[in-house]
Amino acid sequence: MAAKPFSRRTFLKAAGVTLAAATGDIFAFNDWLAKAKAAEVSKIPSICGTCSAWCGMWIYVKNGRIWKATGQKQHPASKGKLCARGHAGIMWAYNKDRITHPMKRMGDNWFEPISWDDAYSEIAAKLQKVLTDYGPQTVFYSQNAKPTSRYYMQRFMHAIGAPTIHSHHSICSTARDVANKWTTGAMATADMANAKCILFLGRSYADGISPSATANLADARERGTKVIIVDPRYSSSCILGDQWVPIRPGTDLALLLAMAHVLLEENLYDPDFIEQYTVGFDEFKKTMLSYTPEWAAGITDIPAETIRTIARDLGKNRPASCIEQGYKAPNGANYVNGTQTFRMMICINALLGNYGKNGGMKFPLNPKLGELDPKQYPVPPKPKVPRCDGVGIKGEYPLCQTSQGIPHLMPKKAMEGKAKAGFIYSFNPARNSPDPKLMVDGYKKLELLVVCDIQWSETAMAASYVLPECSFVEREDLPTGIAGGKPAVTMRCQAIDRIHSQTKPFEEIVTGLAGKMGLQKYFDFSREEVATAMLKPLKLTTEDLRQKGTIVLDGKAKELSFATESGKVELYCKAFADNGYDAVPVWQPPLANAGKNSFVLIHGKQGIMSHTATANIPGLLQIAKNYNLERIWINPAKAKRLGIKDGELVEVSSPYTSKQVRVKVTERVHPDAAFLPAGYGNLSPWLKTGYGFGINPNDFCPHRVEAISGHAMMMEVVVTIRKVGE
Amino acid sequence: MPRYALLVNSEKCVGCFACLVACQQQNQLPPEQALIRFEDREKGKFPNVSYRIIPLQCQHCSDAPCVPVCPTSASHKDNTGVTLIDDEKCMGCRRCMAVCPYNARVYRPEEGIVAACNLCLSLVAAGQEPACVATCLTKARLFGDLDNPQGDFARLLAKAAPLRPDFGTKPTVLYI
Repeated sequence: MAAKPFSRRTFLKAAGVTLAAATGDIFAFNDWLAKAKAAEVSKIPSICGTCSAWCGMWIYVKNGRIWKATGQKQHPASKGKLCARGHAGIMWAYNKDRITHPMKRMGDNWFEPISWDDAYSEIAAKLQKVLTDYGPQTVFYSQNAKPTSRYYMQRFMHAIGAPTIHSHHSICSTARDVANKWTTGAMATADMANAKCILFLGRSYADGISPSATANLADARERGTKVIIVDPRYSSSCILGDQWVPIRPGTDLALLLAMAHVLLEENLYDPDFIEQYTVGFDEFKKTMLSYTPEWAAGITDIPAETIRTIARDLGKNRPASCIEQGYKAPNGANYVNGTQTFRMMICINALLGNYGKNGGMKFPLNPKLGELDPKQYPVPPKPKVPRCDGVGIKGEYPLCQTSQGIPHLMPKKAMEGKAKAGFIYSFNPARNSPDPKLMVDGYKKLELLVVCDIQWSETAMAASYVLPECSFVEREDLPTGIAGGKPAVTMRCQAIDRIHSQTKPFEEIVTGLAGKMGLQKYFDFSREEVATAMLKPLKLTTEDLRQKGTIVLDGKAKELSFATESGKVELYCKAFADNGYDAVPVWQPPLANAGKNSFVLIHGKQGIMSHTATANIPGLLQIAKNYNLERIWINPAKAKRLGIKDGELVEVSSPYTSKQVRVKVTERVHPDAAFLPAGYGNLSPWLKTGYGFGINPNDFCPHRVEAISGHAMMMEVVVTIRKVGE
Repeated sequence: MPRYALLVNSEKCVGCFACLVACQQQNQLPPEQALIRFEDREKGKFPNVSYRIIPLQCQHCSDAPCVPVCPTSASHKDNTGVTLIDDEKCMGCRRCMAVCPYNARVYRPEEGIVAACNLCLSLVAAGQEPACVATCLTKARLFGDLDNPQGDFARLLAKAAPLRPDFGTKPTVLYI
């Protein structure tokens, strides 16, 4: 929230006369005011912590207080710009809902302050007991991975012998990431600057914003790039696109199968690329034969001729054409057919022969950072016990990546007695996963849950201990490499003094706890020493980054290669076959299908919100309130049938819950879909700003785990909507 | 003297609200008070739909209705064509708000004054762009000098026109 400027006029009106009369010295006040206005402004480089785009920003500080922020020009994500979240997020530090003291849970919504030393001692004793009684395979750590937390907590987990470390991706993009790992070995990204034609499936650069990506999309049109956007709703990106192609929710796989059919049938693919860089073309081609555009039209609700045109637009512009890599959209954690949807996106890019080509898909370059000398600073050995989420284990989730895991499965594992203790950092799975009640009930079954956050998230409310971190503007973090066409390195620097004396940066918290666990030998260094070692191979110092924020490095494009088992693009994936999955993607219908009077509940980001965390930022919530951004979108044809008018209060019901919200009746959504923004519906009563505003799609959806990549299938739910009397 | 103007390309505005928040911070306004607001227009029937977002703020009219009605001369035109409010003179009577056809001014109750876009003249004086222009992700906002147009601003100036010429106030915020 912006600072309320001192009300000079009111002050003068009320007190000025008396003051002047008493002292004859009103000018002293004016001098002070002039000084305050002219106060020196300092500019500190930071990394935005409001969403996971992590834009480089300059924070302007005046009189020790944050004034404003601008984007760093040299940072690849911000390129001189910031979105609304970035501008407003710097004020998070001053939020009244901050956690200001270590807390211990005494009962429902009942926490008592505890000293840091007692918190460390009690947590260490309980963790030790779990390790002794049940073993390290029952301990997990879930995080929204950030440079400092990843480094320190991986050491801690390995030091106690526990392998189960999660990122947040099972409720985000695991399907995409697993598909890329097994199909091309790593994720390539679309070279939008050079593409002649680009197809987006669901992903909206103008809603899930990274400023430079949004800018690239806007520039693409001016360059004459044909931008086709397939999405059940007209997203904000469609304003910048050439063509909106509405699709029935969860059927992108059918569209892709038919597009491959057209490319193959009309010889619009690249035979040389197929020959040199792919395996399994014959099986792939045979499988695609039956998937005609006419077949797909019935499933996707996209006319067969439109499907042909899209395929031809891509095929004729190859290799400077591509399907954008996607994220949570179209299917990173949304529908049962998610992993194979992404496999097909990659297979079509391979048919276009666009890997490594201008305007196609390119593998980003990573900067090579250094590390502490392991001889001087011992590294804990890798844990030997199996993970408790089944990741990497035959018969469970063998193909899901150990770097991501399945965090939303942990509450269920706690109910089954297989998880006993957990640490969660800067991540709110209790609100941002389907079935929040199950999530909280499960977490409460743990013998120990430690949550580290800056505000009272729903997950923090379920914790046995809550440890407050200082907000991102109040701390310095480890440097981080940024992958891209040109790699870069950046570091968050501390912009203002710590506001709440009992908050700590994460590395201090982990080191403190490790001390009580007798693991000090693995943490016998300062963050500065780690940072210095990381930057050494780049011939840079922490001081360089404190001055410049982000530094772009030289990087030469490598020769095209694919880090898969075969070393090629796996149109036919042997690892999939070996584990009982379809080696070539085949049609798999979504579980949720809309009826005449029901809807598939889809969701997505808005430019001003990142999940539910940002709903508690007053500057952003006020915009949502002013512009009715929490409303559920439905198509007018269906609304009319249901007797619902724009702006009316409706009840949205699934088999799991019923909730009320106002409705937005718009032509910009497919009749089979109801679109609900994903950023609202805070349940934690101590998130006082956002609490009670809007509803959340996760309330309507059951807890599920998809078979291949382990994602949460967050859009596999049908809802009915009815008008309620007011 | 330059004659400053803002071009708004509504074909490129995605309604991300970045300009609104950047403006609030530059001017140290609380969340409830914004100098930029948005309107939107949906046309057509599913699936053939078009949609436009129109950002609005002080239009810096050459014939600004807010100026003659101001009893204290707080509302005035500066010599670059920008419409300004002198905080020292404003007594918060809000006549200007009543006559502004673009509904572009806000009242600041805790200060007892009216506020509106000032095209960030303090930033412009320092050689920078207004905060809303600097942060616009899609370059839907372009700042320039009507007498000496440069770059994209010059290229698009020919296509630009007042949002509501019928109001007759001759704005220098122009729309595409």
